[in-house]
Amino acid sequence: MLKWQRRIWLHRYIYIMLIPSIAFFIAFSYLPMTGLVLAFKEFTFKGGLYGGEWVGLRYFEKFFSDSQSMVFVKNTLIISSMKLFLALPFPIIFALQMNEIKNTRLRNVFQGIAYLPHFFSWVVVIGMIQRILAPDTGFLNQFIDSLGGDGSRFFMMEKASFYPIMFWSFIWKEIGWNSIIYFAAITGINPALYEAAKMDGAGKLRQIWHITLPGIRPTILILFILSLGSILSAGFDQIYLLKTPGNMELAETLDTYVVRVGMQDSQFGYASAVGMIQGVIGLVLVIAVNQLSRKKFNTSLW
Amino acid sequence: MWKKSLAVPLVAALFVTGCSSATSNEENTTATSDKPATWIADRTIKGLIFQDAGDISTYMNPEIAKVLKEKTGITLEIQGVTSEDSTQALAAGLAAGDLPDFIGFYLNNSGRPEMPILLKAAKEGMFADLTSSLKNTSIYSKYFQDGYLPTDAKTNIMFRPDFNGATYLVYTAISRNTGQIGKKYVGGPFVRKDIMDQLGIDPSTINTTEQVYDLAKKMKDGHFKDAHGKDIYPIGPTVWGGKDVNSLFNDLVWTGPTEEKFMKDEAGKIKFESQTDYGLERIAFIQKLLKEKLIHPEFFTMEENRSKEALINHSFGIVAEMHNYIPENNNMTYVPLGPINYVNGPYQMQVDYKSGGGGWSIPATTKNPEDIVKLADFLASREGKLLAQYGIEGRDYTLDAKGNPIAKQEVLDLKASNPAEAAKLGFRGVGNWWGEYLGYTDLDPKGDFGEDAYGDAASADTNKTPNEIIKLWDYDGKLKAAKIVDGLTPLSFIYDFDQGADLRQAIDNYNESLLRAYYSSDMQKARKIMDEAAARLDKYGLKEYVQFLENKESAEKVSIKF
Repeated sequence: MLKWQRRIWLHRYIYIMLIPSIAFFIAFSYLPMTGLVLAFKEFTFKGGLYGGEWVGLRYFEKFFSDSQSMVFVKNTLIISSMKLFLALPFPIIFALQMNEIKNTRLRNVFQGIAYLPHFFSWVVVIGMIQRILAPDTGFLNQFIDSLGGDGSRFFMMEKASFYPIMFWSFIWKEIGWNSIIYFAAITGINPALYEAAKMDGAGKLRQIWHITLPGIRPTILILFILSLGSILSAGFDQIYLLKTPGNMELAETLDTYVVRVGMQDSQFGYASAVGMIQGVIGLVLVIAVNQLSRKKFNTSLW
Repeated sequence: MWKKSLAVPLVAALFVTGCSSATSNEENTTATSDKPATWIADRTIKGLIFQDAGDISTYMNPEIAKVLKEKTGITLEIQGVTSEDSTQALAAGLAAGDLPDFIGFYLNNSGRPEMPILLKAAKEGMFADLTSSLKNTSIYSKYFQDGYLPTDAKTNIMFRPDFNGATYLVYTAISRNTGQIGKKYVGGPFVRKDIMDQLGIDPSTINTTEQVYDLAKKMKDGHFKDAHGKDIYPIGPTVWGGKDVNSLFNDLVWTGPTEEKFMKDEAGKIKFESQTDYGLERIAFIQKLLKEKLIHPEFFTMEENRSKEALINHSFGIVAEMHNYIPENNNMTYVPLGPINYVNGPYQMQVDYKSGGGGWSIPATTKNPEDIVKLADFLASREGKLLAQYGIEGRDYTLDAKGNPIAKQEVLDLKASNPAEAAKLGFRGVGNWWGEYLGYTDLDPKGDFGEDAYGDAASADTNKTPNEIIKLWDYDGKLKAAKIVDGLTPLSFIYDFDQGADLRQAIDNYNESLLRAYYSSDMQKARKIMDEAAARLDKYGLKEYVQFLENKESAEKVSIKF
């Protein structure tokens, strides 16, 4: 028996426990990935995923030669960058705040309230936003009206309101959920470090700056690298539901475009090609940033 | 939407007839002496319908199902697939495979967005060839008679030359007689009657968008109130929710009754709207309405439930589009406005030589497809229609001396007081469509049942409001002067055109651009948006397509209706 075989035999029970998760990823990640072949084929109802004629790079040429495509890429990048970079500090700050609440029961209440919106569907959230922001009858417009202002603004239809609505609704919905992992990382920091800092005369802010943040830096980096994979995916359901004729110029992203063009015209091959572009760019980014992070901060996914 | 109700009925499914020599796993197809003549087979038939949620009835009333079973041996099960867009649902459903015994879909005409998907599926062998089965029926065999089908249905949908004699798509909602009108729908903009009375204006005299604007201003200045004492919006969206509508802005839309935005100019040249100034004129008009708060800001986007709620509360002076059978208007608060003239002259009713609506197909994987065809034929027969449209004798209707059904008063009362509960009785008259998907064709309600609309014969009050509106609008007068057409719509050829799929997308993009332009901050931005949309149309062959249409007309002598 070879050395590696012996090692596997020795840890056989652990390997057996691995089997379900390996099977899961094969069934639900790797096998579906073979469907990417559709990006190079003519889809036929009869032939399904693998049966059509090869068309080479036709769909990719179509995508890159279409003037609208770059607009969708730009829109997607702006929205996803806001969610990746601008939104990054919010859950961290929230976790830091939660960490300062010493009463466990009170902290649990706050955390529970903050997690809750994550479990609402975007359909419900956007429905609420539509009601709150509706012209004339919406809560905000009625408030403006009561102060003597113009209570007929159609916020959802204004281009200028799209980014704020998109960004703050995203923060409201996800801040609690995204802070969980940071909070867990904070609780893992050795309390002795804080004791020592206190002895040296460090106040709250200095402790956060010199102990807490460096302590959770690997966590921040890992989560950031992982989220880069979806840089070309701005989140379909939220954007799709927020899209109106007035903000379409900003709100038509690759995700909504894939659904609109792919599904509506049954151009599944073209939709697969666009999806593949999103995935490949995400993969390249993750690899590049992972390398950078390993060199600079000695933290990386692999 | 009101046209959808008109032209796209629901088609449902059931059972069938007998005596097939083939057998399937679950059935005994041998007709025996104790079986009725309508017997098809002892089997379950499953149908999948790709339509909007409101048009799909999956509920089979147990007593109705029992009668169907006794007559045909069939147990019918209907399922629906709905999506934001019926085309998306169809594309996804066909791609997923695993289709049931039959599918139903919208197909007003061959220009509908579903058509390329259905064509692709048909040509790839997804559907069974039904030619011989259809020829062996008593009702559907009429489709093979000269002049029975309208031209588009015949040459572009059912008996296409490129199908080489096969029939994969079955078109429904064909009227039995030429130029026949079944249920009389008055559709288009409606206006609050009390306001018009107070203003002393006859709604039928409003025939231009300029007059619509003046009327809206008067409504705003008059501070008319809704049911809750709040100021109304002069112009509100359609009763089905926000969307771009033509009928309220007809004289600013480059289109005829087909609403495809293709038309001939004075010189007889075919043009699409992007090749005229009408798009920009309409944008300027709508921007003016929005700016002056004469039109609801959510005119193009409002959800259906809020729109219905506003109708009940009388919150709009003008409802952009509805029809005379909307139950929420039973008290006739709203009456028809106009009609508004077309760009090329006064309104004239256009009646199709033959009506048409939805469609159905049988997947190639279905066992004994002839059973489904027999079921469709039974449902299209008078006996089948009686069950699917009127329910069960004694329970839902009685028969008069001529053998025509008279709806029972308690059913009519229930329908008026609790439509949802009434629908559970399970037939068309009360709003359940199971019998429509396969059997709603060869239509002649007057000839079959002695009345144009369900319940007319039982009581003059059944359709009191709709009938009053019909009179008020002078439907019959307009029908006398109507233009009867038998032609194909401009978009029905688009998939015969090389760049058809891309051009179709560019047309969709043009319509979306209009919406963006309505809400753009000024006309300069609107012009830029529309120039981009027009350039995209040119890029994908609009000019060539117009040429292609002209050739169809002049060289091939094809009749095109606008």
